[in-house]
Amino acid sequence: MVALNGSSVQELMKVDLASTSVRELNAELHAPTARRYEVHNPRGAEAIAVGLRHAIEVEIHGPAGYYCAGMNMLADVVVHGSVGTGVAENMMSGSVRVRGDASQSAGATGHGGLLVVEGSASMRCGISMKGIDIVVGGDVGPMSAFMAQAGRLVVCGDAGDGLGDSIYEARLYVRGRVGSPGADCVEKEMRDEHVAELGQLLADAGLPHDPGEFRRFGSARRLYHFAAHNSAAY
Amino acid sequence: MCGIVGLHLKNPALEPELGRLFVPMLEAMTSRGPDSAGLATYDAEGMHVVKDVGLPRDICAAHDIAARSGHQAVGHTRMATESAVTSDHAHPFTPLPDLALVHNGSFSNHASIRRTLARQGIACTTDNDSEVAARFIACELTEGADLEDAMRSVLKEFDGFFTLLVTSGTQFAVLRDSFACKPAVIAETADYVAMASEYHALAELPGIGDARIVEPEPERVYAWSR
Repeated sequence: MVALNGSSVQELMKVDLASTSVRELNAELHAPTARRYEVHNPRGAEAIAVGLRHAIEVEIHGPAGYYCAGMNMLADVVVHGSVGTGVAENMMSGSVRVRGDASQSAGATGHGGLLVVEGSASMRCGISMKGIDIVVGGDVGPMSAFMAQAGRLVVCGDAGDGLGDSIYEARLYVRGRVGSPGADCVEKEMRDEHVAELGQLLADAGLPHDPGEFRRFGSARRLYHFAAHNSAAY
Repeated sequence: MCGIVGLHLKNPALEPELGRLFVPMLEAMTSRGPDSAGLATYDAEGMHVVKDVGLPRDICAAHDIAARSGHQAVGHTRMATESAVTSDHAHPFTPLPDLALVHNGSFSNHASIRRTLARQGIACTTDNDSEVAARFIACELTEGADLEDAMRSVLKEFDGFFTLLVTSGTQFAVLRDSFACKPAVIAETADYVAMASEYHALAELPGIGDARIVEPEPERVYAWSR
């Protein structure tokens, strides 16, 4: 093993999960001795590349299980396959790209960074997001962006029922149909600054859509403000 | 927690391999349910059930499940959240000679439905909530419903969290509640339909790389017949 701060950092390390445990892989990624990693034979294993804190590149070739790239900071992770529940959960910075589909709670509670799901994401995508940007090439399932506090969610396909239920200040952009907006989530005007930020997010995600094809959803702000006329009740 | 797996073979050429394909699926769900495990396999003679306390690996080895042939298998690994850890409380629940139910989740109104069934003369043999759902479905089937209709009746009558896999001699059906908190993934190829709580239970199946992978939607019955 060669320390990252030395001059002899490896350019690329290949890790085969058929012969290496996820725990060993993650220990290496937490104190990296290479700049780039290729992970083979993930076979849906849980918690691959969780808790990264260095600006390294990790490519996972195959399907990954629960919590892939969870809590990511600085690293760029690409999954050439689909992912299970909670991909990029609580991401702080960096990027995670999923070439396939994502299961439930993709990007949940994320504070920052960019999550791109090129396929579709299941229910509760972006639940309680706190600043992460999420771009989904396909559809998102019901209850996505539930209690979303900050950040942007871009859906290039359709969104399921209850989109943005109890939403705070996250901004949601949907190109297709919305099953139904959740409580306190309403469609809002697309102003120039929204077209501009959406265009940048689509460009960052490498998706070709015209921002003009999207609608914006956000909070009606009826639910989360303290109502002064209720003060006598306290 | 609990883990669910099921394998419904479409290609008869795979039938001698049923046990060999199924055992790694069940073992992969050990982390979701290390208390006890159970399974049912189906062949020309009918349904064969094994339930025991312990690790799936040991249970499968003790009963030489890998050597079993047949057209369908269903299994469950249990992490008990209610009722005792015994082989009787392990899944699958099999209230009819060819009916097996495995459940991940918890029913909140099972006591009410248990009493309703009791008034109809249908008694449960354990205090397990999943057994009530199995008896309820069996009752619906006995009264003439097909399996898909019986599963839809579960949606109307039962409250709580559930991912269910229910099998009969000819059918294989999956249902999730309206919040779909309990995981499920289905893989289908020309040769088989496979269902599991998590993808990694399916990762060793032949042709899985080209399978159509679906995460079942809430409140929708997914059923296959042979």
